Amino acid sequence: MDPFYIRVNCMAILFAALLLNSGAAIAGEEVETLRQQLTEIKLLMQRMQQTYDQRINALEQRLQGLESNSERIASAVVSPPIAIPSLSTATNSGFQIGLSGLFATGGSSVSNDKLESLQGGAHDPGQKGFTVQNVELSIGGTVDPYFDAQANIILQIDVDGDTVVELEEAFFITRSLPWGLQVKGGQYFTEFGRQNPQHPHTWSFVDQPVVLSRFFGGDGLRSQGVRASWLMPTDWYSEINVGMQNPKGETVTSFLNAPGEEIGGHTLIDRDLRKFRDLLYMARWLNGFDLSESLSLNLGASSLWGPNASGTRTNTHIYGMDMYLKWQATYTQRGFPFVSWHTEILKRRYEAGDTDDSNRETLNDWGLFSQALWGFKPGWVAGLRLEYATANGDNAADPLRDTRKRLSPNLTWYPTEYSKLRLQYNHDWTEHLSGKTAGSLWLQVEFNLGSHAAHVF
Amino acid sequence: MKIYRVLFGLLLLMISFDAYSVLRIVTTTQDLAAFAEAVGGERVKVQSLTQGTRDPHFAAAKPSMIRKVFRADLLLVIGADMEIGWLPPLLQSARNARVQPGNPGYLDLSNSIALLGKSSGPVTRAMGDVHAKGNPHYWLDPANGIRMAQAIAARLGELDPSHKDEYQKRFNTFAQTMDKKLQSWQASLAHLKHKPFIAYHTSFVYLADAFGFLIVDEVEPKPGIAPSAASLSALVSRIDNNEIGLLIIEPYYERRSSRYLNEKTGIRVVVLPQSVGARPDINSYIDLFDAIVAALNDTGGK
Repeated sequence: MDPFYIRVNCMAILFAALLLNSGAAIAGEEVETLRQQLTEIKLLMQRMQQTYDQRINALEQRLQGLESNSERIASAVVSPPIAIPSLSTATNSGFQIGLSGLFATGGSSVSNDKLESLQGGAHDPGQKGFTVQNVELSIGGTVDPYFDAQANIILQIDVDGDTVVELEEAFFITRSLPWGLQVKGGQYFTEFGRQNPQHPHTWSFVDQPVVLSRFFGGDGLRSQGVRASWLMPTDWYSEINVGMQNPKGETVTSFLNAPGEEIGGHTLIDRDLRKFRDLLYMARWLNGFDLSESLSLNLGASSLWGPNASGTRTNTHIYGMDMYLKWQATYTQRGFPFVSWHTEILKRRYEAGDTDDSNRETLNDWGLFSQALWGFKPGWVAGLRLEYATANGDNAADPLRDTRKRLSPNLTWYPTEYSKLRLQYNHDWTEHLSGKTAGSLWLQVEFNLGSHAAHVF
Repeated sequence: MKIYRVLFGLLLLMISFDAYSVLRIVTTTQDLAAFAEAVGGERVKVQSLTQGTRDPHFAAAKPSMIRKVFRADLLLVIGADMEIGWLPPLLQSARNARVQPGNPGYLDLSNSIALLGKSSGPVTRAMGDVHAKGNPHYWLDPANGIRMAQAIAARLGELDPSHKDEYQKRFNTFAQTMDKKLQSWQASLAHLKHKPFIAYHTSFVYLADAFGFLIVDEVEPKPGIAPSAASLSALVSRIDNNEIGLLIIEPYYERRSSRYLNEKTGIRVVVLPQSVGARPDINSYIDLFDAIVAALNDTGGK
C-alpha cells in the first residue's frame, strides 16, 4: 500500500477518535477562538465587499473616462467623463448656527470678594466653586450677494446665581464693495488690538488680561456703530479701520459709563451725547508679513478717543500697539507643533474734571500683557502669560488703578477642535490687597456644538 | 517739495501693478496649483494658500492669505468640507466678489468627481471627523487628477475665452502624458494588487482604489481621533491575524504609533507623500505619483 495513503488513513482515524471522544473538551476552548477568527474574517469580508463596491464604481467611472479619452484622441473634442459644474451649480455657504459653552471651577488663596477685584473680566472665573463663564449662541450666514450677518447671544449665570442674557454682537458686513473696502455696522466688538474682539471661548487663557478689564470693562469694548475698512493695495497685508460708536453704556467703561461711580476719586455724571464729535472714534492699522513659510508677523496700532463722564467737556484717549508672531513647523498635523507670541501694550489718558474743577487732573494709566503658547504635540498647548498694569497719582488702594503684576502658566488639551480642557494657575501681586499676593487655580471646560467653529488668524 | 516727491514715489512703489494681463489663480492646496500651472502655462500666475507639507484640514489662517485671495481672479478649492475650518472667514475678510461661491471665479473641484465614502446614514461627531459629503482626498487617484485638470481648463476657457483653445490644448497634452504614465505606474505596482494595507488616516482610499490594494483598517480609531493604547493593541492582533504587511502614512502625522506597530508586528511603514510639495523634490502632479510609486516599491533592500 502507498505509505502516503496509510498516513492519511491514520490521520483520519485519529481525527475521528478525537472528535468522538473529546469533542466536548475541544468545544470548550477552541470554539471560542474559532468564533473570534470567524468574526474577524466576517469583518474583513465586509470591508472587502465595501472596497470592491467602491472599486466597481470607480471602474465604471474609469470606463466612462476611457470612452471620453478615445473620443478626445480621435476627434480632439472633449466630452467630459462626468458633468463639469456649470457656473450656476456652485452652492452658497448658507446659514450657520452654533452653541458654545464655557465652564470653570477652581479656588484661590483669597476670599471671594477679594477675588472679584482680581478677576476683573465678566467672563472670568471669579469665585470658589463653579462658574458658568459663557454660553454663546451664534447665528450667522450670507444674507444676499451684498451682505453677511451675524448675531452672538450670550447667556451667563452671575455670582448671585441669576441668569444674564446679553446681545453681545449683532452686525452686518458688506461682501462686495470695490477697491478693498468693507463696511460693518450694528452692535460689535471694537477692533482695538488683537485680544478685545475675540470671544471668550477663543481666548488662550481662562480670563481676560488685567489691562483690558481696566480700560474696557468686564465685557470688553463693544458698542453700536459703524466702521469702514480698507485693504490697501500694498505688497504686504495692510488694512486700515476707522469707526465710530456710541460712547455710552457699561461696555464702554472709559467713556460715558456708570453715572454715580468713581474713577480716581472723581464722581461720574450722567452726561449725554450732544454733538457728532461726542461719539467714540476708533482707528486701527494692521500689517501682516510672512517672514518665511513657517514664520508670520502681525503688527498693529490702534487708537480711541471719545468723551468721558467725569466732566461735561472731558475726553479720554486710549492708544495701543499689538504684535503677534507665529511659527509653525514645516510638517504639521492638525496645525501642531507651533509657537506663538502675542503682546499688547495700552495707554490711557483720562481727563478727570472740567477746566473749572479745582480737582481737575489727568489720569495716566498703562499696562501690557505678553503671552506665549507652545503647541508641543497634536492637541496639547502649554502657555505662559505675563501682565503688568499701573497708573499715576494716588492709586495704591484702588483695585482698578493700583500697580499690579500677574503670572499665569497654563496647559490646554484639545481632544478635537470642538472641545477643550484647560488648567491655569494665576499668581497675583497687587498693592490694594492686604497680603499683596494671591494664588488661584482654575480648571476650564469648553464644548462647541453646531456649525464648524471657524478659526481667525 | 522734495519730501513730497519722495513720498509720492514710495506710494507708487507700494501700489504694484502687474505688467501683463495674466489670470491670477489662488488655490487652497499645492496639488490644485500644479494642475492650474499645467493647463494655464504662462497665461496664469498661481499661488497656493497652503503647503503640501501641512495637514490641509487645519491651515493656520494668515493675513497674507487674505491678501492673495483679495487679488485673485480664480479660486480653486478641494471642497467636500476639506477647507471648512479656515476658508469661510478668509473669504469674508478677502472682500473679493469675483471669487465668492456662486461666481465664475470660484471653482470647487469636488463637484467634478464622484466621491467615495459618502455617508448613507446620519453622521454625528461621535464618529470623529467624518465628511458627510464624501472623502475629500480624491486627488490621489490619477484618473481624478485628469478630471480636475479638465474642469480647470474648462473654467479658464470661460474666464479667458480668447485663449480657450490654448488651455484645451495644454490639457490634452497633460492628459496624454498622464495616460502613458498611468500604464507604467500600474505595471510597477501590479504586485500590490489585492494586498491588505493599513493607513494612518482615511486619506488613501482613492489611491488604493486606483492601484488595487485594500486598506483594511486605519491607525486612527475614528477619523481625526488620536489612537489610544487600547486601539493600538487591537490593531496589533489584527495585523498579526490578517498578515497585513504595509502601513502607509502621510509625512505630517506623528510616527510614534507606527513605530510601535512596527516593533510589535514587523509591519513595514511607508511614508507616502500625499500632495505636491509634500517633499521638496515633488513639484508636479506627475512627480507626486512617481514619488508614491517609488516609496511603495522601496523595500529597503529586503
